[in-house]
Amino acid sequence: MLIVTCPVCGAKGDETDFHAAGQAHVRRPATHDPVNISDEEQRDYLFIRHNPKGLHFERWRCDRGCGKWFHAARDTMTMEFKAFYKITDLPPPEVMAEAKGSWAEYFASRTSMESKA
Amino acid sequence: MSELYHESPLAGVTAPSGLAVSLREIPDRGMIDLRGLGNDKKFAAAAKEVLGVALPKTPRSSVAWGDIKVLWLSIDQWLILCPRTKVSELLAALRSALAGIHSLAVDVSDMRAVIRMEGDGSREVLMKGTSLDLLSADYQAGSCRRMRFAEIAALLHVVEDDIFDIYVFRSYAHYAWEFLATTARESAKVKLFGAQSAPV
Repeated sequence: MLIVTCPVCGAKGDETDFHAAGQAHVRRPATHDPVNISDEEQRDYLFIRHNPKGLHFERWRCDRGCGKWFHAARDTMTMEFKAFYKITDLPPPEVMAEAKGSWAEYFASRTSMESKA
Repeated sequence: MSELYHESPLAGVTAPSGLAVSLREIPDRGMIDLRGLGNDKKFAAAAKEVLGVALPKTPRSSVAWGDIKVLWLSIDQWLILCPRTKVSELLAALRSALAGIHSLAVDVSDMRAVIRMEGDGSREVLMKGTSLDLLSADYQAGSCRRMRFAEIAALLHVVEDDIFDIYVFRSYAHYAWEFLATTARESAKVKLFGAQSAPV
């Protein structure tokens, strides 16, 4: 049983009051660069997901509560939630720093992209 | 032409004998669904002018003013409770005050059935249908929240410490009623702490 806290309304409940909706921070290439999209990019956007053992970032919805979407950082091995944060946000820096493998690469590219912009 | 008339979702249903708590339907409650941006000052001011009380901003809280109650449902959604006879008047006032502001006010009086549960032990009965810890300080008088209750969507309003209003969608009214009537039987009473008595 997972105990989830909604960062929007603060409601605490078990996972049946919420709805897990897959990986977080998936970027649609056509939104950011509509002119130059390769088939590979579009394939990755549609089908390729991280599947880490350890820290993972997910989208959740306060399904039976306030109805809003939010993000959660969860350890896939211990099932421990590390953080809940808003749907428009990146993870808290201390949690982002713990990310490994493909997630670490993703956050590195994302932060360098945003610092350029 | 056939005549339109209002019949409550649980009309004709009576509580069985042998219940540990009192259970009844509240048939004549008017409800208005109000949506708008919570941080829009114009919207908040217009709603306050009509209702006489500011929309609650604290999550899962409610406010009361005269015969009007406003429940917080989400950061952009409120449920206004009033007597059924007052709905059209209040709705017209809301709509004229909110004209030109990004918002929505709809009469949803027939959308939900309202079941009132009263008496010592009501929390224990409710906890048979939900995973929430209703004994925590979050669920004091005046608090409300939408939840998963008996596998269906429901809205719980703590009216007083031992008085609860449970709002379920109209089509689930009989199911929710049967669930409550079954789990609230005196013989099905649970003790949360200590040894359980043997079932009768």
